[in-house]
Amino acid sequence: MLAPHRNPIHAEFGEILCHHEHPGGQYLLRVMAPACAAVAEPGQFAHIRVTPERPMRRPLSLLRAAPGEGWVEFLYKVVGEGTALLAGRQPGDFLDLLGPIGRPFQPHPEHPRQLLVGGGVGIPPILFLAERIREREEGTPVVFMGSELPFPFLTTPSALPVPGLPEETDLALQWMEDLGIASRLASRVPRPGVHRGLVTELARDWLAAQHPDHLREVEIFACGPHPMLAAVAELAREFGVPCQVSLEEFMACGVGGCAGCAVPVNTPEGPAMKRVCVDGPVFEAREVFGP
Amino acid sequence: MSRDPEQAERLRVDFCGLDFQTPIVLLSGCVGFGDEYTRVVGFSHAEVGAVCLKGTTAQPRLGNPPHRVYETPAGMLNAIGLQNPGVDHVVEEILPTLDFTETRFIANVSGSTIEEYVRVTERFDDSPIDAIEINISCPNVKAGGVAFGNDPDMSARVVEACRKVTRKPLITKLSPNQTDIAENARRCIEAGTDAFAAINTLMGMAIDIESRTPVLGNDQGGLSGPAIKPVALLKVHQVYQVARPHGIPIIGQGGVTTPEDAIEFLIAGATAVGVGTALFYDPLVCRTINDGILDYLDRHGLATVGQLTGTLVRNDEGTCCA
Repeated sequence: MLAPHRNPIHAEFGEILCHHEHPGGQYLLRVMAPACAAVAEPGQFAHIRVTPERPMRRPLSLLRAAPGEGWVEFLYKVVGEGTALLAGRQPGDFLDLLGPIGRPFQPHPEHPRQLLVGGGVGIPPILFLAERIREREEGTPVVFMGSELPFPFLTTPSALPVPGLPEETDLALQWMEDLGIASRLASRVPRPGVHRGLVTELARDWLAAQHPDHLREVEIFACGPHPMLAAVAELAREFGVPCQVSLEEFMACGVGGCAGCAVPVNTPEGPAMKRVCVDGPVFEAREVFGP
Repeated sequence: MSRDPEQAERLRVDFCGLDFQTPIVLLSGCVGFGDEYTRVVGFSHAEVGAVCLKGTTAQPRLGNPPHRVYETPAGMLNAIGLQNPGVDHVVEEILPTLDFTETRFIANVSGSTIEEYVRVTERFDDSPIDAIEINISCPNVKAGGVAFGNDPDMSARVVEACRKVTRKPLITKLSPNQTDIAENARRCIEAGTDAFAAINTLMGMAIDIESRTPVLGNDQGGLSGPAIKPVALLKVHQVYQVARPHGIPIIGQGGVTTPEDAIEFLIAGATAVGVGTALFYDPLVCRTINDGILDYLDRHGLATVGQLTGTLVRNDEGTCCA
C-alpha cells in the first residue's frame, strides 16, 4: 500500500520568473515559491489562482522544483478559460499558489527498474520523477512519453539503447539523455525517430523484452489521460508488476476539505470514494482499475 | 501573529449560549471534519468562532459519482452527496482528535427519514460536540435534505423530533429553494430550534454542450459563492424578522468573501457569518475578514461586532429597523 502523505501546504505569492509558449497551446511556467520548492515531490501539484479576478483555483502538476533557487516549474496546456487566463500572465506578475499538495509517486527500493509512462499533460510529473530517481540513486528509470502535440523540450537521437524497441525509434529528450536516463517518444503524428502509435505500445515492447529476473524488479509509474492509465494498468496486470497512476479530477478546495474531487476506488474494505487532491493524486493502479 | 486581546474581545459573540471567539463559522462540507485546513500554513482555528463538520448520516455514505464540482460565473456548483463515514465513526474516531480548546465544533446532521435525523442527533447528543446543525436543505441527495427543507410541515417535524433527543443548541439550516423561508423559520421556531443557518446552496445545473450531458455526476447540484450573496442577504433579512422577537440568532451565509460581505450579513440580522466557498479562493481569508470587521467597527464607533447585528436602516423608515 502507498503511504498517506500529509505535508504542510504553503500559501505563497510568487513572482513569475519565466513563461514561454510552445506549439499547441503549451506553456512552460516558472514561479518563485521557495516554501513549496523546498519540499515538493514528483506527483504533487500546486493549486493556482490564475488571476486575481478568477478566484477558483486550478491544480497544475509540478514539472520541477529547485529547492536551492526557490522556484517551481509547470508545463500546462490551455484547455479552458482558467488555463487561457493563466497563459496571459507575464514574467514579473505575481501568482497566488498553494502547494505542494498530494500524495506523490513513491518508488520502492525492491523495484529499482522504474518504467515511467507519461501522456500529454501527464508528462510533467513523470519527468520530475525520473530526475529525482536519478538524483537519489533510487534505480534505473526508463521514460516513455506520448503526445499528439510537438514535445516542448529539446530532443536528440539517443545514445542509450532501450531493450525491445527498434533502432530507428531513437529520439529522446535532451534533458533525460543528459541525466543518463533512456527515454523514447510516441505519437500518432509521424515524426522521425518517434514511435508512430501509442505510448503504451512502447511500454509493452519494453516489458516483453525484460528478463524474468529483471521484470520482478520493475514498477510502473504513469500519468496521462484516463484511457492511457487504464491500458497501463492492464499491462501491469499482464506482466505482474506493481503500478502507480496519477489521476486528475475537477477540484474546488484542493486541500481535502470539500471532497469535490473524489473518485471511486477499490479498497480491502470494499468500494470507497477517495479525494484526488490529498488521498491521491497518485494511487495504486489496482485501487482505481481493479486487481 | 495573534491579535491584541482587547481587539480580539470585540469580535467575540454569544451564539445561543455558545462563546464564539469571532463571528466567523466555517461551513459544513467545506472543511471536512475540521483537520484538513489546519495543514495550510498560517491557517488558524483561532480566527473562527465555530467549525461545522461535514454532513453526517446514520450509515456511511459514498456520495455522488464525479464530477462533483464545477466552476460557474462568480461561484461554483457542487454535488458531493453527503459522503461521510457514518455517525458512529465520526463520534468514536474523529471527535476525539479535535481540539475543543481551539474553537467550537458543530455537527451537521442529515438523513433520509425523520428517524435517521433522530438517530444521528441522539448519537451526537452523547458526545463532546458543541451544537447540532440540522441539515434539511442538502440539494444533492435523493431523499430527505431539501425535500424536507422545502416543506414547512416536514421541516418542523424534523426539528421537533430532534429537539426531543438533545439539549444541545439546535441550529436549523434553511433552504433558499422554497417559496416562503420566513414561514418555514416560524414553524421551526415553534418546533424548538435554537438558531438558524441561512442559506444553503441554490439548486442549479450545468451542461456540457459537446456531449449534451449534465456536467455533474448527479445531474444537478447546489450553487454557492458570490453569485448567491444577494439572494442570501434577502433570505437572512426575511428570517431575521421572524427570529428576532424570539431572540433566535442566525448564521448568515452565502457568498461571503470579503469583510464587506460579512458586514452586510451582520447588518441584515446575522449574529455570525458563514464562510465556505471563499476558503477555496483563499484559505487564509478568515483573518482578512476579521481584520476588516474590526476596521469597520473603528470607523463607525462601535465597541463590539454584536452591536452591528440587525442595524439595517430601511429606506422607507429612515430609522433603524432593529
